[in-house]
Amino acid sequence: MSEQEIYDKIAQLIEERFEVSADKVSMTLDFKKDLNADSIDIVEFILELEDTFGAEISDEDAEKLATVGDAVNYVKNHQ
Amino acid sequence: MKIAVDAMGGDNGPTTIVAGVERARDQFPDIEFLLYGDEAKVRAELKNEQRITVVATSEEILADEEPVRAVRRKKDASMVVAAQAVKAGEADAIFSAGSTGALLAAGLFIIGRIKGIDRPGLMPTMPDFRTGGQFNILDIGANADSKPENLYQFAVLGNYYAKNMRGIERPRLALLNNGTEADKGDLTHKAAYQLIAAEKDFNFIGNIEARELLNGRADVIITDGFTGNAALKTIEGTSMTILHLLKETIMEGGIKAKLGGALLKGSLGSLRDKFEYSRYGGAVLLGLKAPVVKTHGTASPEAVYYTISQIHDMLEKNVVADVVDYFSRNELAKRPEKND
Repeated sequence: MSEQEIYDKIAQLIEERFEVSADKVSMTLDFKKDLNADSIDIVEFILELEDTFGAEISDEDAEKLATVGDAVNYVKNHQ
Repeated sequence: MKIAVDAMGGDNGPTTIVAGVERARDQFPDIEFLLYGDEAKVRAELKNEQRITVVATSEEILADEEPVRAVRRKKDASMVVAAQAVKAGEADAIFSAGSTGALLAAGLFIIGRIKGIDRPGLMPTMPDFRTGGQFNILDIGANADSKPENLYQFAVLGNYYAKNMRGIERPRLALLNNGTEADKGDLTHKAAYQLIAAEKDFNFIGNIEARELLNGRADVIITDGFTGNAALKTIEGTSMTILHLLKETIMEGGIKAKLGGALLKGSLGSLRDKFEYSRYGGAVLLGLKAPVVKTHGTASPEAVYYTISQIHDMLEKNVVADVVDYFSRNELAKRPEKND
């Protein structure tokens, strides 16, 4: 899957989960700072990432995913 | 209807759970049970397997484990597999006496929230000692931090439950606060008051103080998880202390006090039973796509039975499906103005 394809899928997940419009989503969008996500939101999002991409994300790695770009790069490097 | 049961949850493991399940099975011919746990241990407790399917699992979540990590990592834990069955539509509800935190995590992350509900609330049914009735209180600890719109959604959920499950036409809703006046409380409670008061569907009677909780003033009490948990534990602790002091006073009070105590033994026993609120069913994690219900780890087979009858009622009365419907068509309930 190309980086763009991964980005598109993740952007779609974020639009639906956090109810934000597509134009607000970018690689630098920060889950906590920009989307006001709390720990529950983040775990739900990580689980959705795992379901969508069939990957298993360790707790240690999950803690490092702060932005959309982090998530895209993680999926790209672990497919 | 099918109920997924975490047979390994609770302090006594399958012994208590299976006894309660068998009693419920005998009472409700329309329930089928899926029992998840150590197959040999579960089967050893079963008297007959009519309408009971045992599903073997190899792990269990212990009380002291970090809940989210345990639910994510122990994929063959009885509670996790039971929750997966509900997610897959193989069961309609889940029951557990195991770790509250793990059940919250399994409910939230496996079964999932109803669309439109930001956070589920944990809600027990409690005795009201003044009128002999009951009341519901939520959230008692599913969330440590709550926003005003979370409290508003707890009001919608509690109101629905009291109407549909308890048959109260216009449930009296109250907000637990540090005073009865409308302007009392911190910023969250002041804002929550305004949101709840503005909803015309509610019979909102205003703020209530913690000392009035057991006095039958409201049918549903709305609180944030932090305050609700502290309030509930204060009730538990105070009632236990009073009973202990009473016993101590009688035992150390000489022959007359002991004689009086002997005469009062039956009455004091029924007083203790009144504080045992697991008789009223379990705590429901309200706001999820299916009933997720928890009873005490120390629950008796009787409490397990009562909790299963509560789940039976919830499924029969379609409580969760009605809430899903309400949130899908009611824009206001979905998300009032964010405060941040």
